[in-house]
Amino acid sequence: MPLRHRSSLLVLAAATTASALLLAGCTADGAGTSGGGSAPSTPVAGGTLTYATGFGEPTCLDPHVGGNMPQALLGTNVLESLFSQDAEGAIVPWLATGATPSADGLSWDVALRDDVSFTDGTPFDAAAVAANVAHMKDPATESSTAILALGKVTSVEVVDPTTARFVLTEPDSALLESLAQTWLAMESPAGLARGMEANCEDPIGTGPFVVDSWTKQDNVTLSRNDSYNSSPAGAAHEGPAYLSTIVWRFIPDPATRFAALQSGQVDVIDEMQPDNVVTAQDAAASGGQLGVLTGALPGASIRLELNSGYAPFDDERVRKAFIASADVNPGIESLFFGTVDRSYSVLSSSTPFGASFEDDYAIDTDRANQLLDEAGWTGRDSEGYRTKDGARLTVDFPISTNQSIPAEQSLFEQIQATTKDVGFDVELHPLDLSSWYASLAAWDFGVTSAIYTKNSPDVLRILYDSANIIPAPSGYHPNHSHVSIPELDALLTTAGETNDQAERADAYQKAQKILADGAYVLPLYDHLQKIGYSTRVQGLSLLPTLQLPYLADSWVQQ
Amino acid sequence: MSVLPEGSVAAGWSGAAGSAGSSGPVGSAGSVAGRGSRRGRRLGLGVGQWVSLGFLLSLVLAAVWPGLLAPGDPLAIDPRAAFVPPGWGHPFGTDESGRDIYTRVVHGAAPSLVIGVAATAIGVGLALVLGMLAALAGRIVDFAVSRLLEVLFAFPGLLLALLVITVYGPGVVTSTVAVGLATAPGYARIIRSQTLSVAASPYIEAAVVLGKSRGRILARHILPNALVPVFVLVTLGVGQAIVWAAALSYLGLGAEPPAPEWGAMLFAGKNYVTSAWWMTFFPGLVIVLAAAATTVLGRALQKRGVR
Repeated sequence: MPLRHRSSLLVLAAATTASALLLAGCTADGAGTSGGGSAPSTPVAGGTLTYATGFGEPTCLDPHVGGNMPQALLGTNVLESLFSQDAEGAIVPWLATGATPSADGLSWDVALRDDVSFTDGTPFDAAAVAANVAHMKDPATESSTAILALGKVTSVEVVDPTTARFVLTEPDSALLESLAQTWLAMESPAGLARGMEANCEDPIGTGPFVVDSWTKQDNVTLSRNDSYNSSPAGAAHEGPAYLSTIVWRFIPDPATRFAALQSGQVDVIDEMQPDNVVTAQDAAASGGQLGVLTGALPGASIRLELNSGYAPFDDERVRKAFIASADVNPGIESLFFGTVDRSYSVLSSSTPFGASFEDDYAIDTDRANQLLDEAGWTGRDSEGYRTKDGARLTVDFPISTNQSIPAEQSLFEQIQATTKDVGFDVELHPLDLSSWYASLAAWDFGVTSAIYTKNSPDVLRILYDSANIIPAPSGYHPNHSHVSIPELDALLTTAGETNDQAERADAYQKAQKILADGAYVLPLYDHLQKIGYSTRVQGLSLLPTLQLPYLADSWVQQ
Repeated sequence: MSVLPEGSVAAGWSGAAGSAGSSGPVGSAGSVAGRGSRRGRRLGLGVGQWVSLGFLLSLVLAAVWPGLLAPGDPLAIDPRAAFVPPGWGHPFGTDESGRDIYTRVVHGAAPSLVIGVAATAIGVGLALVLGMLAALAGRIVDFAVSRLLEVLFAFPGLLLALLVITVYGPGVVTSTVAVGLATAPGYARIIRSQTLSVAASPYIEAAVVLGKSRGRILARHILPNALVPVFVLVTLGVGQAIVWAAALSYLGLGAEPPAPEWGAMLFAGKNYVTSAWWMTFFPGLVIVLAAAATTVLGRALQKRGVR
C-alpha cells in the first residue's frame, strides 16, 4: 500500500473516483456513526462549532515552524497539503493531481491543480510549491518536522506552472507520504514573505477556513473560506465548508475539558481520558448526547526511550534489567479501562511494517537482578536502591504533562514502583512543554516518553538514525535513545530508498529487531486519537493521513 | 497592649478567609465551652478546641510515627486493586494504581506539617528581622522597608510563591521557602507596628531612664512583648501554610509524584473526580480539618490574649 503511488497518475485518478468513503478512516464508537444516536440529517450551512483541544496552544500557527501536534490539529482546517491518504494509507490527490518519479528515483514531477488560489488571492502553482519547500528548509524557519521529512529533497524546480519537480539526493520511498502531512502544508508565498512573526499569527493557506483572530491563552477563531474549492479526494462534499465559524479553545485539563463537553459548552474535544471514553460510550449506548471517534495515530507507538548515550543506560545490561523489571501490563489494563492494547512494537498498529517482539519485553525480576549484579550495581543503600561506587542507580524521567495524559503518568508511577523492586531509583519530573524540551535537548534524562507522529515507517529513520542525535535547527533531536549503530543506519537507509516491498519489509524487520535486542525502547501502547463530540455535531471525521479531525464536512444542528 | 484587631489580621491574610470560614461551626461549638469538663474549663478550652487539639496531636503522631497508624507502604502499588471504593480492606479506598489512600493520607501528614511549620518559621524569621529593622533602625530604613513590604503586598501571596518556584524550580524545599517568603510581608508589618507601639510604651521609657543598655531593652522588653500577638498569628499561619503548600503541590509545583502529599493526591484524584470521588475527598478532608483545627486553636489563644 505505501508504494501504490509508484504507479502514479493513473492510480491517483482512479483513487479520486473511488473516493466515496475514504474519509471513514476511523471507527466511530458508541451508536455507530458520527451522527450519534440520531439518524444522519441533511447538512445545514452556518453555525459555530467550538472545539476544545488538550494538546496545548501552539506558539506559532505556521506548522512549518517547529512542527508539533497542536499546530497540525489547527492547521488541518486552514492549510492543505499536496497529497492526502485514504483509509488504507494509499496516496490520493489533494492540491496535487499526481506524481511521476524519474527512472533513477532522484526526481519527482508533481502535477498540480490549476484552479486553486490561496485565501489572499495568490494563485497556487509550482512557484508556490518551490517557495514553500525553500521556506521549510530554510534554517531561519526553525523547522524540526518538515525539515527532517524533506531531508532528501534538495530543491523544487518549476517545470511549468502546474508541474513542480522535486530534486532528491537519494531515492525516497516515503516522499509522497511526507508531503501529505500537515507540517508540510502549502502556504501563500506572499504570506510567507511577511516574515515569521506575521505568518505565525495568521498562516495563509488554501483550506476551508481562515484564521480570524487569536486571543492568546484562550482561543483561535476560524471563519469559513467562501471560495473554497479544493477538498481532498474522499471528502464527503465539495466546495465551501458548512460551518461559518470554528472557535478553537485551549482547555489543558482533561477533566475540565470533558465536563465542558458534557455541559454543552464545547462541541468537540480531543485527548479524552480513558475513563471518560467509557463514560461517553456508555452514554451513547443509552441514547445520550455524546459520541466518541477513535483512530490509531500513525508513527511510533507510545514508548519509553532509554537514553543509551549516558549513564546508567549506556550499559546494555542496565537497560535490559530496566525493561525486564518494568511491569506495565497490569497498569495498562486497569488505567486505560480496555481502551488501548499493550504494544510490543516501536511502530503504531496503523503504520505498515511494524514488528512485535513480545519475548524481548518479558518480565523477569531474577534476570534483572542478575544483570544489575553483572553490571556492577551490587550495593544497596538504606532505602533499598542499588549503588555502585557509592552512587545510586538513579534514572531521571522527565514527563511532558502536555503530551502524557494522566493515565499515562500513573503508568509511569507504576513503572517507578516495579523497577524499584530490583533497585532502580526512577525520579519522575512532570514538566511543562518547554522545560521538557530543554531537558531533552540537554540529554538530561535517563528515560522519557515522546510522541512522534508520522504517516510512514520511515519514522524509524527519524527516531533511530545516528544522524538525528544531532539537533535540528529548532534544537530538537528526535533520536532520544541516542542510538548509534552503523548497521541500523544502513538498514534504515535501504528501507527508505528501495522500492522493492520485500526488501523494505526485511530491512524494517531487521532494524526493529536490533532495537529490541539492544533494549533501547520499551513499547507501551498505541497512540490513539480519542475525539469526543456532542451529537449536535454531524459529519465529523478524521483525515486518515495523521488521524486529525477534519471539520470542513461537519455541520451543527441548529 | 492588646492583640491586633481582627481587621488587621484579615488584611495581611488574603487566603485566611477560607480557613476562617471553615472554622465557623467549630468556633461556635467552642462558645458552648462553659459546659465542658472541669479540666477543660481550667485550661480554658471548649469542646471544639479539644477536638482540634486532639486532631492536631494525631497529625503530629502521624508525622512522627506514621507506621503506628498505617503500617502499610504508601507507595506500594497493586494495579489489579485500582479504584476500589472505601470499604473494610481500604477504609479510604484505593487510587488509580491500587495504592491505599488511608495509608497515603497518614504518611502525607509529615510533609504537610513540616512544610507548614518550616514555611511559617521562615516567614516569621524573615519578618522579625524586617519588622524590627523598620521599627527601630531609623526613619530611612523604616521608609525603605515599609515601601518594600507595600510592593510585596501588591502581589497576592500565592503569586509571590509561584514567582519563587518559577525561578528556582519546583520541589518540596523550594515550595516551603516560597510559602515562607510569601507570608513574610504580613508578619513583618504586624511586627513593625507591634514593635513601634511597645517601644513607645511607658515601661520602655522607664527602662531607658534607668540606663539599661539598648541590647538589653531589645531582648528583655521589646522582643517578648512584641512577639506575643505574633505567636497567635503563627498558630493561624501554620494552617494557612499547609493549605498553600497543598495548593502548590496541586498545581504540580511542590512534591513530585507519587509522593504521598495531600495536595499532590488531590491533583492526581481530580482526573477521576466523577468516577472515584474518594481519591479527592479524603485528602481534601484532612487539609480542611488541619487548617480548621489550627485556626480554632489560634482563635482560642487570641481570645485568651484579649482577656
